[in-house]
Amino acid sequence: MSIALDRQIRPIYDSLDTGANKSAIVGCNKLLKKHPKNALVQALKALALVRSQKVEEALALCDEVLEYKPTDDATLNAMMHVLRGLGRHKDMITMYEAAYKKQPANEELGAQTFFANVRANNWKSAQQVASKMYKQFQEDRYLYWSAISTVLQANDPNTAAEMRTLLYKLALRLITSSPASSHVHPDRFHLHLTILRELREFDEAMALLETPNGQNICQTNLACNEIRRDIMRLRGALEDEGRRAEQRILNKNDRNWLEFLSVVDGTFSHLTVSKPSEDAREQCLSKVSNTLALFTKISVQDGKKDRSGLLGLLELESRSRKHGISTDPTRMVQLLKQYFETFGDKACCYEDLKPYVSLEGGDLAAWTEFLKASPPPLSTTENVKRVINTHKLLRYNLSASELTVEAESSRAVLYIEQYLEGLPLGKDLPVTELQHVDDFAILAASVFVNIWKLNGDIKYLYNAVVLLEFALSQSKQAFQMRLMLIRIYRLLGSPSVALEHYRLLGIKQVQNDTLSHFILSRASTFSLAASGDLTLSTECVESSQIYISNSQETSDFVIRAFSGEKYSQIPQFILFENWLDNSLQRDIVKLEYLRMRITHEVISSEVIDLELIELKFVFDRIHHDNRDLEIIPNYQPRDVESFNAQTMMFEKSEGHGWVWSFLKSYIKAFSQASDLDDVVEEKLLVGDRPQAAGPAKTGTLKERLAIREKEELAELTSDELSLISYADALAEWLEPFHDHVRPPASVVLAEAAKQTELKTGMPLKGVDITPPNGHVKKEEDTPPITEAPEDLVKFFENMKARFETVENAESPNEALHVATLTQEAFLLFVIETLRFKSASVVKIHKLGNLVAKFKPIRAIAAGILKDMAGSLEKMSALEGTSEKRRDFVSACMLPSSQMDDDFQMNIAKKVTDSRKKVEEGVAKGLMRLCSTYEQ
Amino acid sequence: MSVLRPFQASDMFKFNNVNLDIWTETYNIGFYLHYLSRWPDLCCVQEAPTGRMMGYVIGKAEGQGAEWHGHVTAITVAPEYRRLSLARKMMSLLELVSDEIYRGFFVDLYVRCNNLVALELYEGMDYSVYRRVREYYGNLGVGKGGRDEEDAFDMRKPLSRDGARRSVRSNGRDIVVSAHDVS
Ligand SMILES: CC(C)(COP(=O)(O)OP(=O)(O)OC[C@H]1O[C@@H](n2cnc3c(N)ncnc32)[C@H](O)[C@@H]1OP(=O)(O)O)[C@@H](O)C(=O)NCCC(=O)NCCS
Repeated sequence: MSIALDRQIRPIYDSLDTGANKSAIVGCNKLLKKHPKNALVQALKALALVRSQKVEEALALCDEVLEYKPTDDATLNAMMHVLRGLGRHKDMITMYEAAYKKQPANEELGAQTFFANVRANNWKSAQQVASKMYKQFQEDRYLYWSAISTVLQANDPNTAAEMRTLLYKLALRLITSSPASSHVHPDRFHLHLTILRELREFDEAMALLETPNGQNICQTNLACNEIRRDIMRLRGALEDEGRRAEQRILNKNDRNWLEFLSVVDGTFSHLTVSKPSEDAREQCLSKVSNTLALFTKISVQDGKKDRSGLLGLLELESRSRKHGISTDPTRMVQLLKQYFETFGDKACCYEDLKPYVSLEGGDLAAWTEFLKASPPPLSTTENVKRVINTHKLLRYNLSASELTVEAESSRAVLYIEQYLEGLPLGKDLPVTELQHVDDFAILAASVFVNIWKLNGDIKYLYNAVVLLEFALSQSKQAFQMRLMLIRIYRLLGSPSVALEHYRLLGIKQVQNDTLSHFILSRASTFSLAASGDLTLSTECVESSQIYISNSQETSDFVIRAFSGEKYSQIPQFILFENWLDNSLQRDIVKLEYLRMRITHEVISSEVIDLELIELKFVFDRIHHDNRDLEIIPNYQPRDVESFNAQTMMFEKSEGHGWVWSFLKSYIKAFSQASDLDDVVEEKLLVGDRPQAAGPAKTGTLKERLAIREKEELAELTSDELSLISYADALAEWLEPFHDHVRPPASVVLAEAAKQTELKTGMPLKGVDITPPNGHVKKEEDTPPITEAPEDLVKFFENMKARFETVENAESPNEALHVATLTQEAFLLFVIETLRFKSASVVKIHKLGNLVAKFKPIRAIAAGILKDMAGSLEKMSALEGTSEKRRDFVSACMLPSSQMDDDFQMNIAKKVTDSRKKVEEGVAKGLMRLCSTYEQ
Repeated sequence: MSVLRPFQASDMFKFNNVNLDIWTETYNIGFYLHYLSRWPDLCCVQEAPTGRMMGYVIGKAEGQGAEWHGHVTAITVAPEYRRLSLARKMMSLLELVSDEIYRGFFVDLYVRCNNLVALELYEGMDYSVYRRVREYYGNLGVGKGGRDEEDAFDMRKPLSRDGARRSVRSNGRDIVVSAHDVS
C-alpha cells in the first residue's frame, strides 16, 4: 500500500475507534472513488456499516471482499470484525483458511485460522489446523492445542457417544508424542490428567502424580489436586487417600473440608460393597475409633478457631449410623450439643448442623430439650446469635401439630420482642454493617408468611412487610430482607414497590441472569405497556443486555486462554458461555417481553416476521436454568414448603415447560401469520444459524409444535392452560386458510430482493430476482370454510366467569392474571386474522364467509374485555381511599412504639397506591386495545 | 468446615450471596474471565459442603524486576460466614502461590482507608501500609464517607524472596500519592 493511501486511511480507523461510524463511511466513500477495488477500504466501510446497523449494504460489500481472498493483516482483521458483527463465523473460517493456504509459513495466519474455528466450536478442523501448525513450527503449544481440541470435540454434545473414547485416545497419543513432559506446566499437566482420568488409565496417571514435579504441582495448584483426588477415588484407593489426607491435616494444618471427607471415606472404604463381611465390619470399627481419636484431637487443638474437627466427628457418626455400626446411641446428640456450645454463636451454625438434625424419637426429644433449656439473656452479640440459632434449629424440626396459627402467632410475637430487645446492641454499627438481630425479623416474617399459607389471611402478609421494612430501615444492607419484600409485595399486587426494592439491590452484569426472575417472573401480569408505560418492558431489555455481552466477549477469553495455555479454563469458559447463551431465564424474559410488546406496538407483519425468526432460534435451544433461588433465606420447618415455594406468584414456577408451552403457541400463530416459510428464511438469514446445543431435535417444525407434553403443561396456571388450549384451537381452525393464501417462496424472495436492490443498489446474493412467470396463484381451490370452534367463544365466557370469582379477592393478582390472559387471547386472535384484513386477499381467495365468522368472536371478546376494564377501574378507585389504608394499618399487630402509625400508614399508602396504579393502567390498556382492534 | 477450591467461570452464577454485600463489586464478565485466563491459580473459592459459596479471592501477578509481586484484587466473604478464618485461609493460599509458583517479592493490595475490618485482617497477617493513594475509589453511596472512604491504603507483605524486607517501609501511612501515580 502506498504511504499516501496509508495516511488517508488512518483517520478512518480513528473514526471507527471513537464510534464515529458516519464519518468513517464518508471517509471510505471518498477513498473508494479513487481506489474503487481497494479491499481494505471496502472492509472498513463494511465494518462502519455493520456498526450503523446497515446490514444489507454491509453484506454486499463483505461478499465482494471475501471474493478477493485477502491475505494482508489489516484487511483480514477488519473483515474479522465485520464477520463477527454479522454472526458469520463460517465465512470467517473460510477466509482465514484461504489466506493461510496461500501463506503456509505465516504463523499468525495459522493461529487466526485456528481461532476462527474455535469461535465456531469447530473442534475437528481446529485440531487439524493445530496439528499442521505443530508440524510446521515445532512448538509444543500447538500440540497441546490439538490435544485439547480433540477433547473438546469428544465432549461436544453433537459427537456420537462411541467416538468419545476414540477421541480421548487420540488426544492422549498427541500428548505423549511430545518429547517434553506435561508436568513442567500445571495446565498441560491438568489436561494430561483429565485425559487419563477419562480413559481410566490410572496407573499412568499415578506414575505422573508421583513424580516430584507432579507432587509439587498438586501442593499448590487446587485444580490439579482436584483431579488427583478424583483419580484416587475412581481407582478405589480410598484408604491411601485417607491416610494422605490425615497427614495433611496433622502436618500441614490443612483444614480444607475435602481432606476431612477423604479421611471419612477412607474410614468406611471396607463397607462400600453391598454385603460387607463380618471381618470388614470389624476392621471398619477399629478404623472408626482411630478417626474418632484423630478428629477429637483436632477439635480440642483448634477449639473455636476451626469447625472442621467437630464437624468431622458429626460426619463420622452420621456415616456410622448409616452403615449400622454406630456404637453409642447417645453420641449424635452429644456431638450436636458440643458443636452448638462451641459454635452456636456463629451465623453458619444452623447451616452446618442442618444435615445432622433430622432426628426422630428420643434423639429429637433430647435435642429439643437441650435447645429449649434456658436461653441466654440478649445482652451480648454472641448471645443474640445463639438465641437465633436456637430458634432456627427448633423451627426446623417442628411437626404439623406444632404449626397451628396460634402457636405460630406466639412465635412471631416472641421473635419480634427479641428483635426489639436486642436491637440496641448494634446502635453504633456503621451503616455498611448488618444488624446482629436481623435474623429475628427474618424469622418472624417467615412465620407470618407461613400463617398466611395456613389460613389465607392477607393481613399476615401486611405484617410481614411492615416488620421487614422496619428492620431494613435499621439495617440498610440487609439484602435478604429486600428479596423477601420483593416477593411479598408482588403477592400483594404492588409491583412498583417491589421494583423499587429490586433497583436498590444494585443488580449488575451477570446477576441480571440469575436474579431478574425476582421482578420479571410472569411480569406481563403487571405490565402497563398497553397504556404506554414501558417500565417493565424496558426492564426486560436491560436485563437482557448481558446475553449480548456474553456473545460478544466470552469467546475472546477462550482465545486468550489458548494463547496463554490455560487449558484448565477452556472447557469452563465454553460451559459458561453456553449456559448463559442458553439461559432459561433469558427466554422467559424474551417471552415476557414479547407479550408486553404486542400490547404496545401495532401488530404488523414486520413485527411478526422478526419475532418469528427469533423465536424459532429459541426453539432449538436446550435451556440451562441459572436462576438463583438459593439466595432467599429459608427457615421454614423441614416438612413445610420453602419460603421460595410459598411466595411464588400463583404458586407455580415457570420452567422449561412454561417456556415451551408459550413458545409453541407464539411460533404457531406467527408462522401462520407470516409469509416467511423455512425456505424463505434460510435464504434471507444473515448470520450462521445458531448451533443446536445438543443432538438435533427430531421432527419437522410442524410436528414439534403439535406436541403438548403433560409435564410441560403442568407448569402452567389453570388460566394459562386455558389460554394455550384456546390458542391451539384457533391455530388449528385457521391453518388451512393461511397455507392456502400464503404466497409461494419464490414470490416472497423476489419481493425481498427487489427491496434490497432498491436500498443498496446491489442484488441479493443467491436469489433470482426475475418474478415467477404468471403462476402466482395456487392451483388448488380455497379449502372449505369451516365453523369457528366453539372453544373460542367459550374461552372468553369462561374467563369472564373466572374474573367474577376473583375480582373481589384481597390481592388483585388473580384478577390481573385473568384479565391480561384474556387480553392476550384477543391479541392472538388479531395476529391470526391479520392476513385476512386485506380486502383483495379475501376477494381473490373467496374468503368472505370465513371473515364473516371473525366478527362475532371479536365482538364478544371485546365486550368481555371492556367489562373487565370497568371492574378494574372500580377496584382501583377503591384502592385509593383512606379507608383501604386504614384497613391495612388496623390489620397490623406490631408493637406500635417502634413501628408507629405513621410508619405503617406510609407502607399502607405505598401498597395501595401501587395496586391502584396497576389496576388503573391495565384497565386503560384493555380499553385501548379494544378500540384499536375491535373492528 | 469449608471447601477450598479453584474459582471457575460458572461461579459467576453462584456468587450472589457474596456479591450483594455493599463492600463487594460485581464486575463485567470480562473482568473475571481475564483473571481466570491468566492467573487461575490465584483465584479461589471457599464453599460450604452444601455447595453454597462462602467467599472468594481473585488475584494476579505483576510488576517488573524487584517489583514483581502477587496482588490481591478482590477478597470477600459473605456476611453469614465472616469471622471463621476464611479470609485468612484464602490469603494464605494466595501468598503461597505468589511465593512458590510466581516467585514474587511481595504481595500487595488496596483497601479503603475506612474499611477497618479488612485493615484488621491484613495487619494481623503482617501486611503494612506502603502508601496512601488519594481518591483511588469511588464513593460507596451510603453517605458521609469522607476522605477515608475514597482513599486507599496500598498494603504489602514481603515474601521469602525478599528476606531483607526491602518491599516494605515503616512510615507508609505518611506517604501520600495520587491515584494516577499508581495505575
Ligand atoms: C474483610 C473480610 C474479607 C474478612 O473475612 P473473614 O473471613 O471474616 O476474616 P477472618 O475470619 O479470616 O478474620 C481474620 C482476622 O481478621 C480480623 N477481623 C476479621 N473480621 C473482623 C471484625 N469484624 N472485627 C475485627 N477484626 C476482624 C481478625 O483479626 C480476624 O482474626 P480472629 O478472628 O482470629 O480475631 C470480610 O469481612 C469481608 O468480606 N468484607 C467485605 C469485603 C471486603 O471488605 N473486602 C476487603 C476489600 S480490600
